[in-house]
Amino acid sequence: MNTTPVIPADEAVIVMTRIYEAPRDLVWEAMTEARHVAQWWGGPGFSNPVCEMDVRPGGLWRHVMRFPDGHELKMNFVFVEVDPPRRLAWREVGHAERKGGLPSCLITVSLEDMGERTGWKMVARFDSIPERDAALAMGFIGPIAASNDRLVDYLRSL
Amino acid sequence: MREYSTDRLSTYWLNTFVPADRLSSTLFALADPTRRGILARLATGDASVTELAKPYDMSLAAVSKHLKVLESAGLVSRGKEAQWRPCHLEAKPLEAVFAWVEDYRRFWEQNLDSLAKYLRSIQGKRRREARSPKSERNL
Repeated sequence: MNTTPVIPADEAVIVMTRIYEAPRDLVWEAMTEARHVAQWWGGPGFSNPVCEMDVRPGGLWRHVMRFPDGHELKMNFVFVEVDPPRRLAWREVGHAERKGGLPSCLITVSLEDMGERTGWKMVARFDSIPERDAALAMGFIGPIAASNDRLVDYLRSL
Repeated sequence: MREYSTDRLSTYWLNTFVPADRLSSTLFALADPTRRGILARLATGDASVTELAKPYDMSLAAVSKHLKVLESAGLVSRGKEAQWRPCHLEAKPLEAVFAWVEDYRRFWEQNLDSLAKYLRSIQGKRRREARSPKSERNL
């Protein structure tokens, strides 16, 4: 299934939406219980040797993700908003010490009850300046690319 | 707090805040609406400084300062020939920005595919358990 990111030109956010073929309570459980999260986080080939979640505002989520090539990425998050089974928000802590890896931001996931299905919406809001600028820049590159064939070809060739 | 607004552009500010590493300098250059406007104009073809300044209520000197930021980020090159030294869009530095968001998108897409698959597997398991109530498994 496809997750199309939406990147508005005037706001430093990336929005991704998705529909899951599962009731909302189950989706909530799968994303807030460490025993579940450790089973799916990262995707095929990844494993999660550490996943400890204290799911309440201010609670910590300690996580170590192991890549298919064996290298490990330590991620420490703090839960900012916990409103079961509707909203979960977290942000990375201590990202200043980290080089490379995934960008840091406040991630808010909202779940919409659709009976046997669940609407999933993630808003990644960037607060560190380079990452915020990158989000803004992407909102900008889309339209500029559309107006310039050479640029479109170039971006396609990347 | 870093300030991007165009009316505060000054040499001091440029010297102080233009970051050294490549991605940062691209992002810095793109973070200003006037500079994005200039690039959008250049995406339609080369232009002189005078032409670029036309839509903005600012001096040629102010526009030149913006162009310097874009040039130092490698986003704009200036023609050597002719007095008007046409400005030209260079797309190459956008590659890093593109790659950055692409990585982000790829991680989350993979992560969400994985969650979908996991949800299917635990639902299947629970349905089987519902049919055989003796099961001790409590997933």
